[in-house]
Amino acid sequence: MKAVLKWVGLIVVGLALGSGLAVWQIRTGGLGNDVRVGPWTTGRDVGTADADIKTRAIVALRGLLALPAKEARYFTAATDSAGAPLSGKCRYAMTGGDIAARWWSVTLYDRGGWLIPNRWSRYSIGSARIPAGQAEHWTVQIGPDEQPGLWIPTGTDGPFELTLRAYRPQGEMARDPSRISLPTITKGECRP
Amino acid sequence: MIRRIAPLAVVAVVALGSYYGTLAAAPYGLMRLAEAKLTKTAPVNHFTHTPPVRAERQFVVRPSPDLLYSVCPYDLTAGPLEVTAVLVPGRYSSISVFDARTDNAYVRNDEEMAGKPMRVVLALEGQAVPAGVETVRVRYATGIILQRVLLADPSEAAAVDPIREKAQCRTLAG
Repeated sequence: MKAVLKWVGLIVVGLALGSGLAVWQIRTGGLGNDVRVGPWTTGRDVGTADADIKTRAIVALRGLLALPAKEARYFTAATDSAGAPLSGKCRYAMTGGDIAARWWSVTLYDRGGWLIPNRWSRYSIGSARIPAGQAEHWTVQIGPDEQPGLWIPTGTDGPFELTLRAYRPQGEMARDPSRISLPTITKGECRP
Repeated sequence: MIRRIAPLAVVAVVALGSYYGTLAAAPYGLMRLAEAKLTKTAPVNHFTHTPPVRAERQFVVRPSPDLLYSVCPYDLTAGPLEVTAVLVPGRYSSISVFDARTDNAYVRNDEEMAGKPMRVVLALEGQAVPAGVETVRVRYATGIILQRVLLADPSEAAAVDPIREKAQCRTLAG
């Protein structure tokens, strides 16, 4: 009896270790980590049957119903360009240029991937809002306080992340996103 | 020696199996949760055209506030499903099918349809389908069909609604 209990105990420990590690990786894993461009990461096989088992599980939790790369590229940033975690207490300047896609947008989410309530009901900036003369060089302000021009409210004092969607990607954006340039994210002042 | 290693080997083998088992099962479980959440407000095998996304109204994780979504949770148990739609010309719009494992089984956008109405039949292997219709064979009976329509501004929703509401899911006789 004692021996049986010992083996049952070992199996329970194995189950707990294995499933615990898997759940931890799913909850903390990046939404596609195989390509990094500055602070942005993306996966090559998101949404397809070719995705590896871990990518599929992470996408199911944090980006369910994501389209395959030929239709859309999804880049996520949880840090600024200097590598510091994005904080809702801080102001950031996100500066970029032309993005090779039919349409693109940047959306702010909490770390779980949910939109954060804010009194402006404003969560994103899309390419349609960039003035024609600024398409090659634009800046979007991100921060807790209302700002003139293009801006996205953080809506929280906690950490957040940004998702850049590029629908119908073209050129290198479609072929090899590791060779493209994406917006930089520069931290400004932070609230105490 | 074997007596000492055997317990560690058991833990390692069970942990490895449990690790991969959890990763493999997670997409199915999370998709079932999403389907269960959706079907509280969106009937199975029907398109439900949801209003613009806001923080107070998120039907799935990481929604885009720049898109209008229509959702059709599907179940092919009773027979194949016919999906028809008119993709909104001149702005990004698409119909995509996600299976129970979360894989994208099909996607078509407005550029690919070039103004033509879309008609596609979703069916399990072995299910009879009408002749001459584009058919997508899926491995699992359930999943989610999604229509996305780009909104440059939320105020455009009213103008887009009459077109996106033409999207329909309909079970064909099994």
